[in-house]
Amino acid sequence: MGGPKPMRITFYRSKCIGCNYCVEAWPERWQMSKRDGKCVLIGAKKKGNIHQVQVGEYEREYNERAAAACPVNIIRINQ
Amino acid sequence: MLPQIQESELNTLKSKRLTEIMAPVGDWASLQAALQGGADSIYFGIEQLNMRARATNNFKLEELSEIADVCSKKGVRTYLTLNTVLYDHDLPLMKRIINEVKRCGITAIIAADQAAISYASRQGVEVHISTQANISNIEMVEFYSHFADVMVLARELSLGLVKKIVDGIRERNITGPSGELVQIEIFAHGALCMAVSGKCYLSLHTYNSSANRGACKQNCRHAYKVINDEGQELVIDNEYIMSPKDLCTIDFLDQVLNTGVRVLKLEGRGRSPEYVKTVTQCYAEAALAVEQGTFNKEKVAGWKAHLEKVYNRGFWDGYYLGRKLGEWSQVHGSAATKEKVFTGKVLHYYPKAKVAHLRIKARGLSFKDQILIIGEKTGVAEPEIKSLWVDETSVQKVEKGSDCTIRIDQEVQEGDKVYVWEDRNP
Repeated sequence: MGGPKPMRITFYRSKCIGCNYCVEAWPERWQMSKRDGKCVLIGAKKKGNIHQVQVGEYEREYNERAAAACPVNIIRINQ
Repeated sequence: MLPQIQESELNTLKSKRLTEIMAPVGDWASLQAALQGGADSIYFGIEQLNMRARATNNFKLEELSEIADVCSKKGVRTYLTLNTVLYDHDLPLMKRIINEVKRCGITAIIAADQAAISYASRQGVEVHISTQANISNIEMVEFYSHFADVMVLARELSLGLVKKIVDGIRERNITGPSGELVQIEIFAHGALCMAVSGKCYLSLHTYNSSANRGACKQNCRHAYKVINDEGQELVIDNEYIMSPKDLCTIDFLDQVLNTGVRVLKLEGRGRSPEYVKTVTQCYAEAALAVEQGTFNKEKVAGWKAHLEKVYNRGFWDGYYLGRKLGEWSQVHGSAATKEKVFTGKVLHYYPKAKVAHLRIKARGLSFKDQILIIGEKTGVAEPEIKSLWVDETSVQKVEKGSDCTIRIDQEVQEGDKVYVWEDRNP
């Protein structure tokens, strides 16, 4: 079908250093875990070390901001 | 190549030495390397709350008991670094780590954040104050003595100031929680920051990546050009204008120990196992030589030659001897004289015959080569190749793509990597 591809966020959680910038960029999708001080990608499915979630296109701008702010470069967004 | 020391001899040397040699550990192979080098204690990070969150493959919480077991069997103390800036969401993890430290019998934590210091001290976990707290005077020592028996001083002090602090502890009788006089630890070797130790915000400022959360991007290690607003460039003969050389105190270790410092800390949790082994062994030998009055120029030259083989940015004496700032490194990476080149893998070890079966993959191996075998259990083995065999035939050289066997007394493991030391032109 010709509609826009859904946007997929990929998050390599084990390398997270818990800096909190993604949470500040888009708290609806990113949350800090009290359990281990690393970030949680809300709604994501976990495969091994990779956490992935498909979200609406309207979130793109905010998640891209989160990805750009991430100091360890572990947030990827499909084009 | 430093002579491999047998374990029995290592223990004798350790028992004779008064100075504690504290080695950096970033993974299992360098932990073994630290033990082989004769470390009295090791320090390491787990999870993300340590100053090398980016630089090393940090251990996991589940591995703490194994680390404690392996080290306590060898009589080696274990210190866990918990020394980043802590945010509110880090506090539960910080507490879990400290609880786990207590449960597994890790010797102490190294901390700078008052939240970690006070929680550990409430839990009865021994605390060492990290260099991140920048202890630079006797009253700071007095303040922290309520919580800690061991303190690492700021890296920026001269030896005179270090001695004054150590003397002050005795004069004022400053004791830690154990009731013993507070012990002072200083950095003896390894990387230095261009800013006041670790208190640098360059990386946060340019990459949003905080050095104080263990994610330093090392802006200072790059070459820079100086250009004015009219586009004219100022020619500077060394473009690495912010990259300090590495600290090396081996040639004046007698003066260092003369201050009364009892613990020598070696920097390098982000560096390789052979670096850890070499640096640990050199400083262990040098400290003993100082104590026994056999420390001399010839020995220093020998140690220095070994230290130059492994990763370094060139050496200077840090701030201890009051040199003017300006000992800038000329290189981006390492100025090591040797580099290890990957050669192949260990397929099997036959303990009875003391023979290792190797697969040579990346480059040929000759009878004259100095090799290193590195692995998680093995640490760093440096066997001398006395004979090289392919099947039943003794050979001078093995081409890549074939298997060979060598005799090696130290047990190595299947899957260990084999490297050859080659000369390097930095």
